[in-house]
Amino acid sequence: MAVEAKHDVVVIGAGCAGMRAAIEAHDAGADVALVSKIHPTRSHSGAAEGGINAALGNASEDDPETHAYDTVKGSDYLGDQEAIEILCQEAPGDVYQLEHWGAVFSRTEDGRIAQRPFGAAGAPRTAYAADITGHVLVQVLYEQLSRRELKVYDEYFAWRLVVDEDRCQGVICWDLLDGGLKTIGAKTVIIATGGAGRLYVGTTNAYACTGDGMAMALRVGVALEDMEMMQFHPTTLAPTGVLITEGTRGEGAYLLNSEGERFLKRYAPNAMELASRDVISRAEQTEIDEGRGVEGNVLLDMRHLGAERILERLHGTRELAMTFAGVDPIYEPIPVRPGAHYHMGGVDTDVWGRTELEGLYAAGEAACVSVHGANRLGGNALMETITYGKRAGAHAAEWALTHTTVAVPESVERDAERELKQLLARTEGERPWRIRDELAATMHENFGVFRREEQMARQGELIAGLRERYENVVVQALELGFLLELATCMVVAGRARKESRGAHSRPYDFPERDDVNFLKHTLVRWRDGAPELDWKPVTMTKWQPQERTY
Amino acid sequence: MSEAILYTDSPTMDVRLKIWRFDSTTGDRELKEYEVEAPEWATLLDVLDIIKDRVDGSLAYRKSCRMMICGSCGMRMDGGAVLACKTRMADIVASGRVPTISAMGNLPIVKDLVVDMTPFWSKFRAIGPWLRPGYDRPDDGKEYRISQERMNVIHKESLCINCGCCVSECNAMESDPEFLGPQALAKGMRFVGDPRDAGTVERLEDYNDSHGIWDCTRCYYCNERCPKGVDPRDAIAKLGAESIKHGIDRDMGAKHAKWFVKSAMTTGWLREAELVPKTQGIVSAIKQTGFALELARHGKVPPPFPPHVAERVKEARLLYDLVKEQGRDGALGIVQGEHALARIEFLEEHGARLNAPEIQPGVEPPHAEG
Ligand SMILES: Cc1cc2nc3c(=O)[nH]c(=O)nc-3n(C[C@H](O)[C@H](O)[C@H](O)COP(=O)(O)OP(=O)(O)OC[C@H]3O[C@@H](n4cnc5c(N)ncnc54)[C@H](O)[C@@H]3O)c2cc1C
Ligand code: SF4
Ligand code: SF4
Ligand code: FES
Repeated sequence: MAVEAKHDVVVIGAGCAGMRAAIEAHDAGADVALVSKIHPTRSHSGAAEGGINAALGNASEDDPETHAYDTVKGSDYLGDQEAIEILCQEAPGDVYQLEHWGAVFSRTEDGRIAQRPFGAAGAPRTAYAADITGHVLVQVLYEQLSRRELKVYDEYFAWRLVVDEDRCQGVICWDLLDGGLKTIGAKTVIIATGGAGRLYVGTTNAYACTGDGMAMALRVGVALEDMEMMQFHPTTLAPTGVLITEGTRGEGAYLLNSEGERFLKRYAPNAMELASRDVISRAEQTEIDEGRGVEGNVLLDMRHLGAERILERLHGTRELAMTFAGVDPIYEPIPVRPGAHYHMGGVDTDVWGRTELEGLYAAGEAACVSVHGANRLGGNALMETITYGKRAGAHAAEWALTHTTVAVPESVERDAERELKQLLARTEGERPWRIRDELAATMHENFGVFRREEQMARQGELIAGLRERYENVVVQALELGFLLELATCMVVAGRARKESRGAHSRPYDFPERDDVNFLKHTLVRWRDGAPELDWKPVTMTKWQPQERTY
Repeated sequence: MSEAILYTDSPTMDVRLKIWRFDSTTGDRELKEYEVEAPEWATLLDVLDIIKDRVDGSLAYRKSCRMMICGSCGMRMDGGAVLACKTRMADIVASGRVPTISAMGNLPIVKDLVVDMTPFWSKFRAIGPWLRPGYDRPDDGKEYRISQERMNVIHKESLCINCGCCVSECNAMESDPEFLGPQALAKGMRFVGDPRDAGTVERLEDYNDSHGIWDCTRCYYCNERCPKGVDPRDAIAKLGAESIKHGIDRDMGAKHAKWFVKSAMTTGWLREAELVPKTQGIVSAIKQTGFALELARHGKVPPPFPPHVAERVKEARLLYDLVKEQGRDGALGIVQGEHALARIEFLEEHGARLNAPEIQPGVEPPHAEG
C-alpha cells in the first residue's frame, strides 16, 4: 500500500457541510480534495425539504438577534451562545452567497427569497425552495465544486484517521469500486460525514448515515459532545420513517389523535403545530402511549389546505405519502409518528471547527459546535452546514498553508492493512444484518423519545453483548462497528445526564430540567477500549436560562 | 415496549425476481431467480436488501436515501429504467409477474446492478454546469430580484437528481454515445432559463453543435422514464425555442423548427412538403422528393401547390403576434403553456373546468410537432 496522494486539506464527506468547506478552503488558496463513500449529490443533505434559517426579513421584520434568542431557547439553554450568535450573524450573507451562486429559491411577490414560518421561530425565517431546499443546495454546491474542478475521491469509504506526532495527517480509505486500501495524506482533515440516524429502526436518515466520522474521531481519542441528544422528528411516515416535512405544518396542517382532536392544545396551546420538535414528539408519544393513537401513529391532516395548495407547495410530500404509505393527502390524513432524525451531538469543536487534535476539524451534523444544544430548530441544521462548513474550511486552509509537511508513517498503513485482513478473514459467527437490526430496534425501545434508567442500563449491556458478537462477524459493513461504538457513548452520556432537557426526556425519574447540576455538555472519550465521561461548561453571552414554554 | 416500535409486524408477501448478475472482471453473466418474504409495503429496494442480507451478500447495487431523492438506485425492471426505491412491489406480486432486474443501459456495467457513471458525469460537466456570473450583483449585496414566474421556467429542470434513468433509455445515445443526452441538456436548460446566468448565448451556441440538441430523435423515452418529472425532452424543446429566439439557427433542426412557425403563420398549416427544401437546401431536397411524394400519396401532407390556406389562419397569425408582443416566445411560453394545460387537466380530472379553450365542433385544429 502506498500513499495515493497528498493534499493541503482533505474533507471527508461531501454533503452540504463538506462541499461548503472544500469550496472555502480552495478559495483561500489550498489544494483541496474530498472523500465520499457516495457521490456528492447523493449525500443526505439533499433530502432536506423544509428550508434554511436566516434573518433576511423578507416575510416580516426579523434580525439576527431574534434568531439567536429563538435558537438559544429552542436548545433548552444547552447551546453555546457565542457559536449561536456567530451562526445567526453570518447566516444572511451566507444565504445571499448561495443565491448568487444560483440556488433556485422560491420567491416572494417582489422577487426576493421567500421565507416561511417554522417551529419555535419568532418570525417566518425559513428560506426555502418549494419542498426540495436541501436538493437545491446540494446541486448548487456541486456546481461550484465542478466549476473549481475540485478532486473528489468518489465511492471511497474513509475508515481510519492517520495520526502522527499528535497531529492528524490524513485518512485511510477503502476503495469501494476497485477494492483495496488507499491512503490520502493531508495537512488538515475536516470530518463532514453527517448523522447517525441508522442507530434507530425508525429514522428519517439515509442508509449512509452511520456516524462514521464521529466514530473515527472517537477512535483517535477525540471527544464527542452531547451524544445523548438525538432529536426525534414528530412527523415521520409509518412504516419506513420517511420524513414528512415540517413545512406541511408551516403551511397549516393539523395533528390529530384517534378522537379527531387537535391534541397539541393540551401541550402547546399557543404555538400548537408550530411548537418545538421535542415538545411535539413527546406530545405524540404520550397520546400513543395513552391509547389515543391510530395503530401506533397520530394523523397529519392537510385536507383543509385544498388540492391546489397541496399540489403547488407540497408536491413532493404528496408523492412520498402516496409511494410509501399509499395515502393521498388531498383526500386522507397521513399516519405519522416520532422517528430519529438529527444528532445534536457530535465531534466536539470550537467556533472554527477545530477539535482537540491538531489538524483535525469537523463540521455539519457530525460536529457539535454546539448551536443546537439539547434540541435543534427546524431549518437551523442546513444553515449550520453552510456557515460552519465555511468557517472550518477557512481555518483548515489557513493552518495548512502555514505548515509544510505531511508524514504518513508506514507503520500506520501496515497496521490498518493487517487489521482489515483479519476482519475479512473471519468466516464464522453472525451476519451483520441481524446485529444491525437488533441494535436499531433496541435503541428505539430503550433510548427513544422517553428514557428510563433501567432501560438505558439494559441497553448499555445489550450493546456490549452485540459488540462481542460483532467481533466474530465477517465484515460486510465497517459501518456497524462505528454504530456500536456511538451507541455506547450515547448510553453512557444519557445515563449521566440525570435531568430532562430538550431531546433527553426522563419523565419517570428526572422530569425537570436541572440548571444547577446539568447546565453543561457531556463529553465522551474512548480510553483503553472503554468510554470515559467528562463535562464541559456551556458558553453564555446574553441569555440566562428561563422556563421554556410555547 | 411502546407501540411505535413495531415496524416489522406488518403482513408479508412472497416476492419473486430475476436478476441479471454480472462480473466485469470475468465477464460472467447469469440470470438468477430469487424468492423472498417481504413486508407488503416493500419497494424493489427493500426486496434487494432482503436478498442481500439473507440470501446472497455478494449482490451489488447502489442505494442511500430510500426516498427518491439521492438518485443512487437507478436500474432496469423488465427493460425500462426505474428507481428501485420508488417501485412498490405489491401490485407486481399480485399480478403474478416475475420481473427481471438488470443494470441501466447506455453505461458500462461494473458489477450486477452497478454501472460506471463516468460517462454520465463527463456529459454533465461538458455543458458547463454552473451559473456564469457576469451581471452586476444587486447594489445592496442581497439577492437578485426575480419573479417566481421567471423561476418557474426552470422548476422542472431543477428537480433532476442525476439518477441516469433517462440516459439509460435514450435512443440517440444508443446510436451516438457522444450525444450530450437528456440529463446534461436538461441541466443546460436549467442555466439558459435562469435570468441570473450571463452565458445564455454561448451556451446555446455550444448546445447547437453536433451531438447537441438537434441530435435528439424525439423518442420521448426520457420523459417517460424520468422518475422526477423533469421531462428532459421538453427541456430540449425549450433550448430549441431559445436558440431560435436568439437567432441561432445554423442547425438543420433549427431551420426546420423555424419553418414550422413561418408556415403556420402564413397558411395556418404546416406545409411539410416545403419543409425539406427550406431546411436542407435544394440538392438534398431532390433526393428526398421520392419520400415526400410517398407521404403525399398516403395523405400525410397536403400537396404543395397551390398553397392551401386554412380557414382560421388569421387566428394563427394573431396568436403568433400576441406571443411575440408579450415576450412569451422561447422557454417562458412553453412553461406557461404547460402550466395552463396542467391546470386544465387537473380541474377536468376533478370535474371542474376553468378557462378551458373553446373548441369548435367539427374543426380539426392544426396538428404540429417540433
Ligand atoms: C429527511 C431530512 C430532512 C431534513 N430537513 C431539514 C430542513 O428542512 N432544514 C434543515 O436545516 N435541516 C434539515 N435536515 C437536517 C440536515 O439536512 C442535515 O443535518 C444536514 O444536511 C447534514 O449535512 P452534512 O453535510 O453534515 O451531512 P450529509 O449531507 O449527510 O453528508 C455526509 C457526507 O459524508 C459522506 N460520508 C459519510 N461517511 C463516510 C465515510 N466513512 N467515508 C467517506 N465519506 C463518508 C457521505 O458520503 C456524504 O457525502 C433534514 C434531515 C433529514 C434526514
Ligand atoms: S427524446 Fe431525445 S433525449 Fe429523450 S430519450 Fe429520446 S433521443 Fe434521448
Ligand atoms: S432528468 Fe430525470 S431521469 Fe434524467 S437524471 Fe435527471 S432525474 Fe434522472
Ligand atoms: S435510494 Fe435514493 S433515490 Fe433510491
